[in-house]
Amino acid sequence: MENDKKIKVVITKVGLDGHDRGAKIVVSLLKEAGMEVVYLGMFNQVEDIVQAVVDEDADVLGLSYLSGEQLIFTPKIVEEMKKNELDDVLLIVGGTIPVEDIPLLEEMGVERVFRAGSLSSEFVEYIEKNIKK
Amino acid sequence: MSQIEEIKADDARTEEEDWEEYLKGYYEKPNSFKTWSGLDTNEIYTPGDLDREKHYKEKVNDAGQYPYTRGIHANMFRGRLWTKREVVGIGSPADTHARLKYLAEQGGTGLNTIADVTYEMGLDADHPWALNEVGLTGVNITNIKDMETLTKDIPLDKVSWSLITAAPSATATMAQYIAVAQGAGYDIAKLRGSVQNDPIHFGYCGFKPASPLDLALKLGCDVMEYCTLNMPKWYYTTVNMYDLREQGITAIQEVAYGFGIAMCYVDELVRRGLHVDQFGPRFSFYVACHIDIFEEIAKIRAARRMWAKFMKEKYGATKANAMHFRFAVHTSGCSLVPQQPLNNLIRVGYQALSAVLGGVQSLHCCSYDEPICLPTESSHLQALRTQQILAYETGVTNVADPLGGSYFVESLTDKIEEKIEEAMAEIDSVGGMYEAIRTEWLDRKLEDEALLRQKEIENGEKLIVGVNIFKSPMEEKTPLGVQRVAAESGQQQINDVKEQKRLRNWDKLMVTMRKLRDDAVAGKNTLPAMIEATKANATTGEMIGTVREVHGYHYDPMEVIDSPFDFS
Repeated sequence: MENDKKIKVVITKVGLDGHDRGAKIVVSLLKEAGMEVVYLGMFNQVEDIVQAVVDEDADVLGLSYLSGEQLIFTPKIVEEMKKNELDDVLLIVGGTIPVEDIPLLEEMGVERVFRAGSLSSEFVEYIEKNIKK
Repeated sequence: MSQIEEIKADDARTEEEDWEEYLKGYYEKPNSFKTWSGLDTNEIYTPGDLDREKHYKEKVNDAGQYPYTRGIHANMFRGRLWTKREVVGIGSPADTHARLKYLAEQGGTGLNTIADVTYEMGLDADHPWALNEVGLTGVNITNIKDMETLTKDIPLDKVSWSLITAAPSATATMAQYIAVAQGAGYDIAKLRGSVQNDPIHFGYCGFKPASPLDLALKLGCDVMEYCTLNMPKWYYTTVNMYDLREQGITAIQEVAYGFGIAMCYVDELVRRGLHVDQFGPRFSFYVACHIDIFEEIAKIRAARRMWAKFMKEKYGATKANAMHFRFAVHTSGCSLVPQQPLNNLIRVGYQALSAVLGGVQSLHCCSYDEPICLPTESSHLQALRTQQILAYETGVTNVADPLGGSYFVESLTDKIEEKIEEAMAEIDSVGGMYEAIRTEWLDRKLEDEALLRQKEIENGEKLIVGVNIFKSPMEEKTPLGVQRVAAESGQQQINDVKEQKRLRNWDKLMVTMRKLRDDAVAGKNTLPAMIEATKANATTGEMIGTVREVHGYHYDPMEVIDSPFDFS
């Protein structure tokens, strides 16, 4: 990608999960790292999230889960992304995720999981090195 | 030769670089002398830090004596241990009931059930948005049958039950609990327990659409008023400072903002014609105990003293127990991390210790797997055992306020009180808490503070083992396994709710719903009508939705379903 184009990230909560402190902090930290971030906020359904990624022409989609819905909603989002041919979008997940779920999420198509306690240095560097566009 | 060079010279076998690292550790000092909330501390505290004669009489006093800095009871835990009350909420009402009974059999002394997100939002289990979420973070109670299942075989006149529904749907929760109790023949005046019922704070837990400010105040105070008049042993609110703190604010802001919200309720109850001596004795709080031991203890002591003063001087309380700051503690979930998860057991142990040294009435210890999943049966039991070790082994229950008189703790208590006063003055300067919330001043504040807290960790100002120091490779599995909520559990609940709705007598239901609507329109207390509606199989979503409509909001917080009732 060209140097002058900012990395564009969509961050969202999924379903009814109301724990948004982490997602909002991630949004701020990514912005400070020079990325363009669109935060969809709470109460988003699968189709709306994927549509937002299409509309925004985002490089990265970050899903935040703190209520244990990661194995329920992620495959639906991956499927919807496939329908929209978004295979060049980097899909990452953050939140309270058991280590046991990490390989399951990766198998579904998530590229990287950042658990609670992750530092911005970790996820900023990861995104910068791994965007696909 | 310097000390470092001497030690180096003593052992030539070791690689130079390794020794540099080791010696840095050997001569290491704390990286900060500030408290977790950023207060400076002195190297040592002495009698000079306190005007002890005047200080003790006016600001401290014995436990059980105004201003209750040292505890609300003279004998504290000698009179009664704190209630060991682990939060339970998982899957269906039946699943939750099973875990509840398990913990009670293991020595838990207070029952404590928490609503899932659907129930908090006031969504029935068959709501389209509830489909994938029922039972994931607590229990969904849609109708009276669910509450019967939850309370099955439990003698409600003997136990103390804490019902954690915070949102406006707490009114439905109370209606359901009362309806079940009355149906089983209990005198509700004898029921003991609490309902969280802090709908104003609930807007700050991510659930704004379910908790518009005016409705939150109205329904919250309906429960408070009804219980004051009909259930004298029931704690009708637990103002949730804990959740506010977990948003990333400091210990000082936790109390300041919590008091701000509490006074919204107190003012409204007074406006309704109740006196603080009537309702004050059953007002209670939910407090966080974060990782800074002395700061948390001092915070609790300052809060106790300040609340007593407010009740006495601002609101004219004359009864001692109307001045008491009664509180439960939830150890800090956000202080726990999934990296090296067993370390969380230690963190929880310290936090529980600070709660007990602070004179707590009721305690929930987080399970070590809090930042990973809902607690497994084993981790839940471990959390209860943490409390039991404190209560039965350590001797901390012998003496009321054992840290009272400590030059440091007394000074810190004074300093935190002063800082809380400043934070409260800041709220006053924007027009008081109701205005601070209405204008979203509080939202901005919480967001700014959360980012500050994260940056303190990012830049190493605050250290968390496993996160920014002493990191290890990621563990391969969660030590005591992972709690899953079976998909069948939620689906069963959804099916049951649909069946119950199909079976009920619509005409009887309509009579009670019409009464609820009329009472809401007339500005009456909605709880009596909700109790009757619950007995006629009205659901949480239907009752809260009907009151929402009267107040000008969409029937459904998610705005996807319409009211099934035709009141015309």
